[in-house]
Amino acid sequence: MPVIKSWPTLTRYRSYWVALFVFLGICVGISSSTAVTNTVASTDEDQSYWQQMETHGKNQDVYFYAWGGDAQINAYIQWAAEQIKSQYNINLVHVKFSDTSEAVSRVLAEKSANNNSQGSVDLVWINGANFATMSEHSLLLKHWSNKLPNFALTDPDNNPAVTFDFGIPTEGMEAPWGQASLTFYYDNLAIDGSATNRPPTTLNEILSWSAQHPGRFSYPKPPDFLGMSFLKYALVTLHQNSPENIKSQLNQPATDQNTALVLTPLWDFLDKLHPTLWRKGEHFMQNGAQMRRLVDDTELSLAFTFSAPEVPAAVQRYDFPESIRSYAMDDGSLSNTHFVAIPYNASHPQSAQLVANFLLSPTAQAHKQKASVWGDKTVLIQSTLNNDQQALFKTSEPHPSALPFNSIKRTLSEPHPSWVDAIMQGWEMRYGVSQ
Amino acid sequence: MSALSKDKTASSARAAHHKTDRFTRLVKYSPRFLLALLILPVLGGLLSVLLPAFGWAPALEQTTIGLQGFKALWQTPGITQMATLSVATGLISTLLAFLMTLMILAAFFNSLWLNRIERLLSPILVIPHAAAAIAVGFLIAPSGMFSRLVSPWLTGWELAPHGIFPHDPYGISIILGLTLKELPFLLLMALGVLAQPELGKKLRQQHKVALNLGYRPMTAFFKVVLPNLYPLLRLPIFAVLAYASASVEMPLILGPNTPPTLAVAIMNWFNDVDLNLRIKASAGAVLQLALTGSLLALWLACEKTIKTLCSDLLTNGQRDYGGDFWHKVIIVLTTLVIGFILLALMGLVMWSVAGFWRFPAALPEQLVLLHFQSALMQMGSPLFNTLTIGLVTTIFAVVLTLLCLESEQLTAKPLSRFTSLIIYLPLLVPSIAFLFGLVWLQQLINNQTAFFNVAFTHLLFVLPYVFLSLSSSYRRLDPRFSNVAASLGATPCKVFLQVKLPQLFAPILIAAALGLAISFGQYLPTLLAGGGRIATITTEAVTLANGASRRTSAVYAIMQIALPLIGFILAWVLPKCFFKSARR
Repeated sequence: MPVIKSWPTLTRYRSYWVALFVFLGICVGISSSTAVTNTVASTDEDQSYWQQMETHGKNQDVYFYAWGGDAQINAYIQWAAEQIKSQYNINLVHVKFSDTSEAVSRVLAEKSANNNSQGSVDLVWINGANFATMSEHSLLLKHWSNKLPNFALTDPDNNPAVTFDFGIPTEGMEAPWGQASLTFYYDNLAIDGSATNRPPTTLNEILSWSAQHPGRFSYPKPPDFLGMSFLKYALVTLHQNSPENIKSQLNQPATDQNTALVLTPLWDFLDKLHPTLWRKGEHFMQNGAQMRRLVDDTELSLAFTFSAPEVPAAVQRYDFPESIRSYAMDDGSLSNTHFVAIPYNASHPQSAQLVANFLLSPTAQAHKQKASVWGDKTVLIQSTLNNDQQALFKTSEPHPSALPFNSIKRTLSEPHPSWVDAIMQGWEMRYGVSQ
Repeated sequence: MSALSKDKTASSARAAHHKTDRFTRLVKYSPRFLLALLILPVLGGLLSVLLPAFGWAPALEQTTIGLQGFKALWQTPGITQMATLSVATGLISTLLAFLMTLMILAAFFNSLWLNRIERLLSPILVIPHAAAAIAVGFLIAPSGMFSRLVSPWLTGWELAPHGIFPHDPYGISIILGLTLKELPFLLLMALGVLAQPELGKKLRQQHKVALNLGYRPMTAFFKVVLPNLYPLLRLPIFAVLAYASASVEMPLILGPNTPPTLAVAIMNWFNDVDLNLRIKASAGAVLQLALTGSLLALWLACEKTIKTLCSDLLTNGQRDYGGDFWHKVIIVLTTLVIGFILLALMGLVMWSVAGFWRFPAALPEQLVLLHFQSALMQMGSPLFNTLTIGLVTTIFAVVLTLLCLESEQLTAKPLSRFTSLIIYLPLLVPSIAFLFGLVWLQQLINNQTAFFNVAFTHLLFVLPYVFLSLSSSYRRLDPRFSNVAASLGATPCKVFLQVKLPQLFAPILIAAALGLAISFGQYLPTLLAGGGRIATITTEAVTLANGASRRTSAVYAIMQIALPLIGFILAWVLPKCFFKSARR
């Protein structure tokens, strides 16, 4: 009875009130999603510069464009958002993209639409080819990351890993966030360690192992970051015994002349490898995450990752069987640093810098390195930290699935980013359309 | 004192008169508003895709009209494969879904089983495409439920076998997913037509007459019912065909990527770092439009041909075409389909709570709530976005639809054929073709109000369904109630609010639930119009579908199913509570 009573009450309102109500609802929605912007001039003095930054950067929204395909990383960013909220009252909004290039194209689109100060991207997780594209088109804010107080903890004068991104100087356009090396992992129930079935430890062993166990290995389809990394690992390794004049081409831009010369060994290798791969190399997984899932499905027995600690973490969350073991290749591990950058037209550049500085802090970096959280290797150099800060990074007994301590024997540096495009185009032409 | 009260009465009478006027005016203008709301964005969006396709994109400093976009498109490796895949998956899945619908209807027409099948299949309707694709993927993968059920005791597989599903190059997985998803839609549309009192009664009676004349039930259906039923099914079929040939979610989750379907490739080009690819993408969108258009034309042509060829069959008097055999086939097929769907859903639920679950175990080693816990902790803002956008859009759509239908009754003129066609425009034009243009337009006007942009874009897809769902009940209202009320002096506004709306309580709730379900399920419009800033359960589910954890994607798929289901349950339960208390 009481319910039916409300009908006449309701019907007393005229319908346009209902319409008005809806309209108001929409308006509230708009105003709440409209960001307030604020621009300030900066001063020269680093100290007062940073104080200014703190005063003006507080109480804003920061739209952080970061790949969102990993629940663990998403959870870490959420943790960071809570810390930043309590420290600076900044709302860090994680905008999840399946590919960073989507954020890059967004900034490009804004530039072409003449939106030069109210961009939707405040901070973006980036490195390599995407950074090269953005810096080439002048889409990034310059000379800020070297002024971050915590940047000194990375020992930038002696640590090119934080001032060069795939061989390109960062010029203060990006702040380092984490470090990654290409590490491999396998299912020890499928690769049982017997004489004929040992985990391959060099590129050539991968080829012979995959020929013996067809369909149990593959790599994500370029331009995926991880798939590209495998191709670069193969390229660099294949050239390890090449004459110096060819080898040195890898650190120089790819040109029409040197492309064929440098890439031919890679195509020869792939021509041999592909028929032995998962789905006979006719279909490739979309990304590294899918590769991880296929290992859990036991479709793949061998895989690789750029963030070694994600392996034990995935076991703890049941996303991997307990039989997974990590190891590093004997012929070298491709290594690089990933960064955060601020687009030139960011709506809240000051707040974004506060966030970037927080992400570089010992607390945030140590939390990130914990296997149970994300397990991404820190970019901070231990010798720059005080004892309390160093203690944050101490870990307990390593997980059986984790990469054994000190197992990376030699690191391979990334080739010039222009090779990414060259490899991708050649790959697309040769293998992009299955016959 | 009396003067005062007299004055009051007079003023309130004036006010009432004034308000009636406004209501009528509001109602009268609503169809035009509806038309503008649907035509402008779709046509504007199409135009903003057409211009760049022919090389005119001032934002990219390209102002020379030419065919360079199309040239780049033709030179793309595998472009014919992309187009063929899109066309083939769209056509075959629609054809399969349509044939299955016909066979189920024919076999179970006028039988209790039809209602049972309807009840079993209608929950499938609320499952968003992404969730359905995830569930189907769990089933057909080499390590999926099917191969787990037969391993290792039958096959000896200790590791997942080599297989081609999902992501097979022939698009079979896509066809499977689309067919399973569209079959319930077409079936429920057909049942909706049959539920119309006059038409349904007429058809059932004619069917009975045919039975009395010795026709087998299935023959009677095809010869008597179908010719009357089909014209009313054409529009839903077209919507399915247009959707299937240009959809993104299913091919993204189940389709191949060397090369992908055209729609997926277009999306990738639009999102590429290289802005100049947008020219090619626009050309691709035009190609997609042409392909979908030709598919619709092809369907129409086939329809005409079959009609001509079969006109003799209708009157040749033959009573039976192996009806018993076909009846058995259909029972087996229907059982298979329902079993497939149930198994897929069970797999989904099991993955969402699975601990370690190594192939070939048929059941997880342990059940844990960890995945739900960690997902729910991160689900706050996507959930909030999903609900608010859905509610704002649906309320607006329902109000506008009611006003339009009321205008139809006030002016005693049914909506023109043109208007009815326009309402379905967003369903017939492939969304990939006009959404990018629309986003471009929205960026030109303002780029900060992501919430509004998303809600507005959702409205384009919600409105047609709400209209479709409400219009038949509204037009079926007994006019005598309103006539009596009006003759007692009630204003049109009062009649609308106090006589018509209460009678329509249940249909309005169903339409609202449908609108919410449609809004909840939108992937491409949310992603594009929101620029990725507005995360909803669906965008998260699609992102995670190809992510690292089957368990997390299962949780999101379940959330995707749960939300619309709750809406429909409320729509179903609330009227019962209301009317129960009213009867007391």
